[in-house]
Amino acid sequence: MTSSSPSFTAAPAARLRPSPGLWDTSSIQPRRGIAMPGETVPAIFWNAVRARGDQVWLRQKELGIWRSWSWRQTGEAVEEIAAGLLALGLAPGECVSILSNTVVEWVLADLAVLSCGAVCNGIYPTDAPVQVHYLCEDSRTRVLFVEDDEQLDKALEVRERLPQLERIVVFDMEGLRDFRDPGVMSLDQLRVLGREHMAAQPGAVQARAAQCRPQDVAILIYTSGTTGKPKGAMHSHGALVYVVHGYNTFIAQDERDERMCFLPLCHVAERTGGEYFALYSGSVLNFVENPETVPENVREIAPTVLNAVPRVWEKFYSGIMISLKEAGAVQQAAYAWSIGVGEQIAQRVLAGQPVGAALKLKFRLARALALDNVRKAIGIHRARFVVTGAAPISPDLVRWYLALGIPMLEVWGMTETCGAATGMPAGRIRPGSIGTASAYNEVRIDSATGEILVRGPNVFMGYLNLPEKTAETIDTDGWLHTGDVGSVDDEGFFRITDRMKDIIITAGGKNVTPSELENELKFSPYITDAVVIGDARPYLTVIIMVDQENVEKYAQDNDVPFSSYESLTRAAEVQALIQGEIDRVNARFARVEQIKRFFLLETQLSAEDEELTPTMKLKRKLVQAKYAQRIDAMYRV
Amino acid sequence: MSQDILQLQNVESAYGPIKAIRGVSLKVRQGEIATVLGSNGAGKTTILKTISGIIDPRKGSIAFKGRDITAKDPAFIVQQGLSHVPEGREVFPLLSVHDNLLMGAYTRQDRDGVARDMETVYGYFPILRERTGQHAGLLSGGQQQMLAISRALMAAPALILLDEPSLGLSPKLTKEIFEIVVRINRERGTTILLVEQNANMALNAADYGYVLENGRIVLEDPCDRLREKEDIKEFYLGMKDDGVRGERRWKKKKTWR
Repeated sequence: MTSSSPSFTAAPAARLRPSPGLWDTSSIQPRRGIAMPGETVPAIFWNAVRARGDQVWLRQKELGIWRSWSWRQTGEAVEEIAAGLLALGLAPGECVSILSNTVVEWVLADLAVLSCGAVCNGIYPTDAPVQVHYLCEDSRTRVLFVEDDEQLDKALEVRERLPQLERIVVFDMEGLRDFRDPGVMSLDQLRVLGREHMAAQPGAVQARAAQCRPQDVAILIYTSGTTGKPKGAMHSHGALVYVVHGYNTFIAQDERDERMCFLPLCHVAERTGGEYFALYSGSVLNFVENPETVPENVREIAPTVLNAVPRVWEKFYSGIMISLKEAGAVQQAAYAWSIGVGEQIAQRVLAGQPVGAALKLKFRLARALALDNVRKAIGIHRARFVVTGAAPISPDLVRWYLALGIPMLEVWGMTETCGAATGMPAGRIRPGSIGTASAYNEVRIDSATGEILVRGPNVFMGYLNLPEKTAETIDTDGWLHTGDVGSVDDEGFFRITDRMKDIIITAGGKNVTPSELENELKFSPYITDAVVIGDARPYLTVIIMVDQENVEKYAQDNDVPFSSYESLTRAAEVQALIQGEIDRVNARFARVEQIKRFFLLETQLSAEDEELTPTMKLKRKLVQAKYAQRIDAMYRV
Repeated sequence: MSQDILQLQNVESAYGPIKAIRGVSLKVRQGEIATVLGSNGAGKTTILKTISGIIDPRKGSIAFKGRDITAKDPAFIVQQGLSHVPEGREVFPLLSVHDNLLMGAYTRQDRDGVARDMETVYGYFPILRERTGQHAGLLSGGQQQMLAISRALMAAPALILLDEPSLGLSPKLTKEIFEIVVRINRERGTTILLVEQNANMALNAADYGYVLENGRIVLEDPCDRLREKEDIKEFYLGMKDDGVRGERRWKKKKTWR
């Protein structure tokens, strides 16, 4: 074991107290000062290593035991990896890609690459070899980090067609003991190489890191590319630093906070909101074991701040709803009363009315009776606040979390804005809105098209190798055209109507925003995702992906025979169940906006499937093309 | 289409707090060999035990020849024409081979029929005739398996539940036993529900297959189509491409399509 191997520690004690209720947001105060100086990501990192020394920064569960990495240990590992990369001849501005799930090594490699003044690009671990090839080729990747033998095989499959790829570095060598290849090395070997380089040229990494300038490209984030090839958005060091400074003005966190790192680090949300924001603020990053263990790990970590995507929040909610159905009558009654108290408080807080002492007392009782158990079952009992973003969320779902007494703050942003561009102020929560413009960028509505425009130093530098696409996206005044259509109210709260290109105009000429319907549908525990169809059609229809677990449970409880997933989706009772959910949603919309027909996807999809984005959303265009026949069938009667 | 001799609807069985099968619906058609494949602990044996009445299900129903037999007494179920060949054979070690076979016919009154069936099983497995007076405990594993199958046949069943006949047997013996199983099915028209870990054998012998994982059926199809599925090839038949490195350790994700 090297000196920079992590140490074993017990789980940390709660350090920051969550607020007693929604009415008190004192624990979410903006922080204006600079938490850690530095104008580039490596500058902040090396300053933080010096300043925070033996404090814990990263934690990861290995073989059932949580291992901690102090800032010092992280710094030692990053320096060795960076020196290894220098020894391999990595020059400033060259690209290194990382093909891995969210693990500690991802962060180590990322910071090492940035410390070398090179550009770091993340590749989704669910990507197929052909996509790995495209991303490496487009980004001119020289060194590729891969997680394990599985990811290595993808890289080896396409290596021949990647002349500029010189070296593949493997994090986890399990199963590769007898594998010898001059182009492949382990992370440990790279670190040995780095130590030799450091002995020969002490201070080389620090010197290189110091050369890094704010205007240099730091990272590439490829947009998921629902249409056409993915585009690599370039972000500068300056933009990343600017954004993490900005985050502290509305979703502030500090060294006492425990966070969970589990979304893909190739996605802008976890990269800036998770890794870089924690780097800046000093919050502890706890890594989940693997994507499947997220629910257990949340309970174990009990984060004080949690960022997640709507899909995760929906999953938590439906899990509680299901266990509630299995609970006894007394428990159900206790929950009903308690959540009712929570709702009353949420209502008053949302309306800006004071919460009386009697209601506060009732809420304490409600928490003791049921709400604290619900919070513990999810793992958010220590959460000061939670953040949702990256996709639209149902306002009802937000209200539910508020009723639990947990401030849920919606943020809105995109790859091109380097993370959040608007955010919900903690003291003035408005479910259904995406909040106000963040202090660090301007947001306005294009009066002609209704499109939301963003301008600020956080806006990306452009798409790699695609100057025309960049010019289409950022106009001459520096406004980023986001492609989202929305509105803004007198108080500056923005609302998203939909993606501009997704808006449906029915054959009858009615404009319909599918996401509104889809979000309502997704609120159902039985529906995971939905795509509303109806452009140039006489009426609206919907393609639905059911929630396997909950629908199976429904079938089980109601004696609906089924064997496989396909037979489950075909069961008449399940069809009726989904019809019921659609009817419920339809009741809230005008007649022309109601869904007339639907069909259920009969194959169980996973992130590897082309129908889903790596963040598990259905790709609208692809699904429409792939299921064209079944869609047409819904319009034939 | 032939009629369903056995039908399970949303059957759930548990050992204390542990749910072993979590809602299984399956059908066995008259005269066919059906198989349930699955790894250790998938719940295969539990399904058979639930059918034969050894375990009472928490939920769901089981119909045999159109009659409900859910949670009925095992002895009653045997009398309806459903025999269970348990995993690990479970012969009576201190009884002779002959007496073991008679135990199988315990519920029958027709002595002539029993004598005829005795001859038939000796025909299938001549070795049993040679050992007829020996204690069953002295037989080899393969012979005990033959005896267990024969004992089940002695009840003149319409349906046999066969739990892992290949357990602990050499490949050659396994093959022989499977050949007889298919013969019994073809010659006597006995329907068979076969549970196996040896997927290759089972898929070759059976007409229709179910794949069980964690107490749930994830896939069903005629066996000739099951054999062609990618997941079956990789996870049950051990056929996988070795990947670019010539050896592959990591497993693909199961999709069950």
